[in-house]
Amino acid sequence: MLRHLFQRCLDLAIVLFGISVIVFMMIRLIPGDAVAIMLGANTEVTPERVAAMRSELGLDRPLLEQYLSWLGRALHGDFGTSIWTGRPVLQEVTAQIWPTLQLTVLALVIGAGLAVPLGCLMAHWRGGRADLVLRIGAIAGLTIPSFWLGIVMLITVASLAPSFASLGYVPFSEDPLGNLQRLLLPAIALALPILANLSRLVRTAMLDALSQDYIRTARAKGLSETAVLYRHALRNALIPFVTSVGIMTGYLLGGAIVVEQVFSIPGLGRLILGAIAERNYPLVQATILIVTVGFVLVNALVDLAYALIDPRLRTA
Amino acid sequence: MYRAMKQGSGLRRALRSSIAAATFALIAGTASAQVLEVAVEASPAGLDPHIVTAFASSQLVLGPIYEGLTALDKDLNIIPGLAQSWTASADGRTVTFKLRPGVTFHDGKPMEAEDAASSLRRVLSKDVGSPLASRLGALESATAVDATTLELKLKEPSAPLLASLTGIAIVPRGLEGNKDALQRAPMGTGPFKFEEWQPNGFIRLARHAGYWNAAEVKLAGVKFNFVPEAATRQVGIGNGQFALLPHIDAATALQLKGKPNVAIRETMELAYTLIGMNVSKPPFDNAKVREALNYALNRKEIIDAALFGSGTPAAPLPPVLKDWAVDVKDLPCYTHDPAKAQALLKDAGVATPISVSMTVLPRQDIRDIAQVVQQQLGKVGFKVELKNPELGQFVQDWRNSNFDLFASTNAGSIEPDDYFYRAFRTGGSTNVFRYSNPGLDALLDKGRATLDKPARQAAYRDVQKILGCTGPAAHIAYPTLFSAVRGNLQGYDIYANRSLVSLGRASLR
Repeated sequence: MLRHLFQRCLDLAIVLFGISVIVFMMIRLIPGDAVAIMLGANTEVTPERVAAMRSELGLDRPLLEQYLSWLGRALHGDFGTSIWTGRPVLQEVTAQIWPTLQLTVLALVIGAGLAVPLGCLMAHWRGGRADLVLRIGAIAGLTIPSFWLGIVMLITVASLAPSFASLGYVPFSEDPLGNLQRLLLPAIALALPILANLSRLVRTAMLDALSQDYIRTARAKGLSETAVLYRHALRNALIPFVTSVGIMTGYLLGGAIVVEQVFSIPGLGRLILGAIAERNYPLVQATILIVTVGFVLVNALVDLAYALIDPRLRTA
Repeated sequence: MYRAMKQGSGLRRALRSSIAAATFALIAGTASAQVLEVAVEASPAGLDPHIVTAFASSQLVLGPIYEGLTALDKDLNIIPGLAQSWTASADGRTVTFKLRPGVTFHDGKPMEAEDAASSLRRVLSKDVGSPLASRLGALESATAVDATTLELKLKEPSAPLLASLTGIAIVPRGLEGNKDALQRAPMGTGPFKFEEWQPNGFIRLARHAGYWNAAEVKLAGVKFNFVPEAATRQVGIGNGQFALLPHIDAATALQLKGKPNVAIRETMELAYTLIGMNVSKPPFDNAKVREALNYALNRKEIIDAALFGSGTPAAPLPPVLKDWAVDVKDLPCYTHDPAKAQALLKDAGVATPISVSMTVLPRQDIRDIAQVVQQQLGKVGFKVELKNPELGQFVQDWRNSNFDLFASTNAGSIEPDDYFYRAFRTGGSTNVFRYSNPGLDALLDKGRATLDKPARQAAYRDVQKILGCTGPAAHIAYPTLFSAVRGNLQGYDIYANRSLVSLGRASLR
């Protein structure tokens, strides 16, 4: 177990290093110049002013040197300052990470939470009319993009219940009800594709498990149907489910970018989007790194969860 | 109310207090001042009035937070601002301003002539690097004679000075070498003072109690919410969460028309859309080809197809500038005439089809315009390839004159010199067309240094005639600018230059 954990940490370090190099290069290689964008299209841009700003931001030094100096400071927890606001990057990120985390968790709870019972029901009704309807619904849920769903929900709710506050964000500590009310629609918009995906997965995994020999054995030795379903079938079906939840979390962060835009939630997604548009190098690097860490950590947790579900993996 | 909910023992208590609050608001509604909820598309990059120039920032700072020595009324006439009156010496090289007494900054300190002088010096300061510096190019020195008298010495007489000063905010003295202090903590003399900024969320302003014209300010504050999605802004004004969408495009305005409790205001915008030509290389180095392009364009059709019919064909200056603008009827090439265009191309000796590329600003209305233009030009022998880079790339290509044609938009200016000089004079700072015409340069220099208005008007009329048909920019349209306003918002006026200065007079019922 300890070796397993150590291995995971090593993986994390390698992944982070790789990502930091890729992000660092990518944002600089895409066309468009931070300084030109900052000085704007309608302003007086003199070569001296451009050169001065470039050297102030350290953009006139060789790429390798820029990367190493950034890495050195990042290892000490200093991710630099945002080019536009002049505030420490870390401060910008922590100010905006909460709405996104809350949204992600909420969407995950709704999506994954409903997927298990729904998948079990679909497996139970396999081949029946209800199963067919739910499966078609799941395909629809998979193919409809979240942002479209978000806009439609927003407009529908606005016309049905005009006084329902659905836009923006208030911190939970300030107004718990208002906070949940505003996050409800975006969380549902984000959760639907997950629900669709996971419920199909649970259905297949359940059907697969139910056709195994050990289920026949369990039934043959006279266990109740409930025990057969929950202790034997579901437990085995949960392994692919948990893997998928881990991967979904990554997609959720991506989906949050779009949904935050629609519902005007000041989250990490909008921060990343704005940072890329402004070529705000330090901010882009830090936010993408943080999202990566989150993604890798969740997948490490998923690995640990396997051990909880399947005793055979505890010794491996 | 939030307080009450936190301390309350449950939902019922919270509900009761909110009902009480609502009832109170109903009773007190007309008497008590309220905070105006505004939804704008983008968050400003900063709030230093001498550094930020994009609409997202400038609409917020100048007017609500800051004021200049001179100001603009609704019809874009220059009126007194922080300066009550001004006189120029006979040679036009000394201008003396008498400042309004009793003006205070948001921190309570009085605004005096030294603050105004320091503000002008700050704009010219190398450390600050203000993009507005060129507007004060003629300024030699600014001195405070006494607390309410400011004297400006000029290198040469400057006709655009008073217009330029409308755009230069007065900030506290002592910031001449400091380019960071005001970006996040603005400090002006305007009707509203800065209170809170939640990045990507909102900026909240509160009424400035010591405002010199405090009796006129009725709102308790203004909250600018950043809402990037147009559909979301529509929902917000529909359900009353926002009371004002200050500047929206025709598509959004059309959808909001007829909604209960939402009124649409409109004005012709000072900004315009244009097709720019690179005259440093063939085929647009040839004036006949540029003229042919103008004849090939059908501006009415472009406006109908791409702007939902909401716009006016654009001469080089907008009709709102009544004193300066030449009517499109006086520009022969504004009559759509494909045959004439083909004849001109033949005259120019270029073989058709001419393959050119057009770099398009990534904004929906501009993309739509570009597609219509592509078709219209195609009919007379231009084979136009559209390029759709993202914003960063567009700005870079534009700046480096890396284009045959570009389709874009420009903010416009209330002062002809401010627009023409930098865009079309040889070596002008935004002359990305690489256009050079000694005759035009002479007219622009004259327009800048002549104080006699009729003589200036004559010079700029000639400038517009030259630019209109053979210039490097084909001006397409002045779009109609819309505001969506909730029924309970009174006293808000939409300005052609997108200024929100009227919020200082607005009220909510």
